Amino acid sequence: MKLAVSHPPHVKLGDTIASINAAKIAVLVPVSLISVYVFGLYSLAIILVSVLAAVLTEVVIQKVQHHELTIKDGDAALIGLILALLLPPTVPLWIPIIGALFAVAFVKLAFGGLGSTLFNPAIAALVFLNMSWTALLAVDSVPHITQYSDLILELGAGRLVEVSPIALIGVLYLIRKKYIEWRIPLSYLLTTLVLAVVLGEDLSYVITGLLLLSVFILATDSPTSPVTKDGRIIYGIMCGALTVMYGYFSYNYGLGSLYTVFIANAISPFIEKNTYPKPVDEVTA
Amino acid sequence: MKEEVNEKNSHENVQESRNKVVIPLLQHRGVICEPLVSVGDNVKIGQMIGKVDHDLGAPVHSSVSGEVVAIKDYAHPVCGKMQSVIIEYDQNGDATKFRGNKSANTGEILSALKESGIIDLDGNSIYFKLNSGKLIDTILINLTNEGDLYSNFTSENVPGIINGLRLLLRASGASKGAFVVKKNDIQTISAIRAELGEDDNISIFQVKRVYSPTMLNLLAKEMTGMRVPITGTPADVGVLIFSAYGAMTVSEAVLEGIPPIKINVMVSGAVNQPGLKRVVVGTSFREAIESCGGYRGKPGKIIVNDIMTGTSQFTDEVPVTKATTRIVVQSEDEVLRDKTGPCIHCARCVDVCPVNILPGFIASYADIGRYDECEKLHAQSCVECGLCSMVCPSKRHLIQLIRYAKHALLKSFMVLQEKDSPNLKLGCGSCNSPCHMGAPMILAEGK
Repeated sequence: MKLAVSHPPHVKLGDTIASINAAKIAVLVPVSLISVYVFGLYSLAIILVSVLAAVLTEVVIQKVQHHELTIKDGDAALIGLILALLLPPTVPLWIPIIGALFAVAFVKLAFGGLGSTLFNPAIAALVFLNMSWTALLAVDSVPHITQYSDLILELGAGRLVEVSPIALIGVLYLIRKKYIEWRIPLSYLLTTLVLAVVLGEDLSYVITGLLLLSVFILATDSPTSPVTKDGRIIYGIMCGALTVMYGYFSYNYGLGSLYTVFIANAISPFIEKNTYPKPVDEVTA
Repeated sequence: MKEEVNEKNSHENVQESRNKVVIPLLQHRGVICEPLVSVGDNVKIGQMIGKVDHDLGAPVHSSVSGEVVAIKDYAHPVCGKMQSVIIEYDQNGDATKFRGNKSANTGEILSALKESGIIDLDGNSIYFKLNSGKLIDTILINLTNEGDLYSNFTSENVPGIINGLRLLLRASGASKGAFVVKKNDIQTISAIRAELGEDDNISIFQVKRVYSPTMLNLLAKEMTGMRVPITGTPADVGVLIFSAYGAMTVSEAVLEGIPPIKINVMVSGAVNQPGLKRVVVGTSFREAIESCGGYRGKPGKIIVNDIMTGTSQFTDEVPVTKATTRIVVQSEDEVLRDKTGPCIHCARCVDVCPVNILPGFIASYADIGRYDECEKLHAQSCVECGLCSMVCPSKRHLIQLIRYAKHALLKSFMVLQEKDSPNLKLGCGSCNSPCHMGAPMILAEGK
């Protein structure tokens, strides 16, 4: 009889990085399918090209550097998928290729790979593309949720992810499984809604698929958000305030939320450093 | 920290007689006993066969009657291998005369505890805990630990556990005693209430979480509000904490004079009929498992005591000791063979940590040898519950790395730590009345 000998604990939860990323991809699949329905097969081409480019970039770089291949954890595929969803359906196909390459090579792997990224790779890539090819990235329309059916199918969407806010409902499953945690989305969403109402904004411009993606998937991206409990709430409130600030003056809450998360990523280490928790047994004099 | 698979060293056991028990000469945290018997001697049930004159010693007793066949190194559930007395038992059942004392005074209780060498589940001798010379005002019985609760808090044991608490109160001179029960554990509470009746000194407290034997300092802080120094024990704030098993053995040892020779063991996991068994100390795990219908499928791992913090065994020919309450068998596919990945800062470890520290950060700093940063992040506050390692999606060895940092800090920051321990500087923070611990009063400017 052979017995395994190892250190404790002898039971662990079954969740792995791969299962978390797979669940996130699964949550984004419905909105991708609806975007294909709305914009036609060309948007499917954008998604596939973007995902393939992200995965291939990771394979090539890790092969060249003789690093262990990490594509199985699904992180590169998730980056490619999110990047594709952030693009308008009118871009030429080389845009997602360049974007995915930039996201994986320069924003993810150059900073040390999974877990060490300073900025969310997909957002950083979109910011890069937006600065370099502004005209190509211009959207045809900005979503405007005037009736309840627009929550299910928004034909005025300018970007793939904006086609259906309700299709992102799967994030509730992610929260329940603790794959993303509730403090950031709750404080972010509440702050945004409260400030928008206080400033007299029309909420039909605020609640878009892009904003919900930022709130639930991008802002909660774990390497780029604070780990401390208080820090996460401050981070969410700051994101909400910045989003409303951007949206109030530009009338574009969706893009505002993207730039918000980009800026918040940069401030996240500072928030984290200043919100280290006090251990339970610390004496408070 | 790779998982290793050891071949069972079966050659030495197969030829030997099966009618034997193995009594390790060290079954507690302390000094190993000198054997009082030699090969060929006949021993009786309850006869002392190992003893050492040391504060940290705890004598061991034979659990069977029979002949000593060997005194040699043998597998031990916690220590790997340990010198043990191997006794081949007969059917006579000769027992030493057990002399109980229903009305023992403090000195008699202490000497009975010392003679019977009883120990608690955290591995410490109960006599040593009581005899530390510190002023004790509260005795707690921790009934939140599920392994202990299932194995020892059976209906016939409840009177023994309550008597044990009364004896411990008398022996320590403490004024208050309490049972600590998990919130809404109505079964346990009503069992105690029914048996306890009216007793002004003993109360029942409900707490929110489970306190494993490594988390007793945290329990003392929770119950008294006083912080236990990082390297200290609950006794430093006047609290002694025992398990249900400890209280039960105390009452057996004092009232009936029986040393701990039998123990309730919960066998669970991949066995055919999991259940609670009462076995004599020294029975091998293999026999305990066979009495539960044997293995279900191929065994992959055998764990003693707690599945979160327990030790895995390299053989099943390992004896049940005085501190074995639980045997967990995992089948081959249940054995974890995870690969460690990078930290993704998902903060799950932060969310589950009972003492509110940042396990992931401390582990990452420990990994690169930055113990100074670990100290700043309060690595020493860790109670080693293992929850962070359990929830980590990257399967990082968080508890091992934090232990490593704590050990390194004890070595390198010895002076700094004593100076910085807030409890030594500030005490309990309520110096309005003379200190029950006899500490000098701290003036307001000193704070």
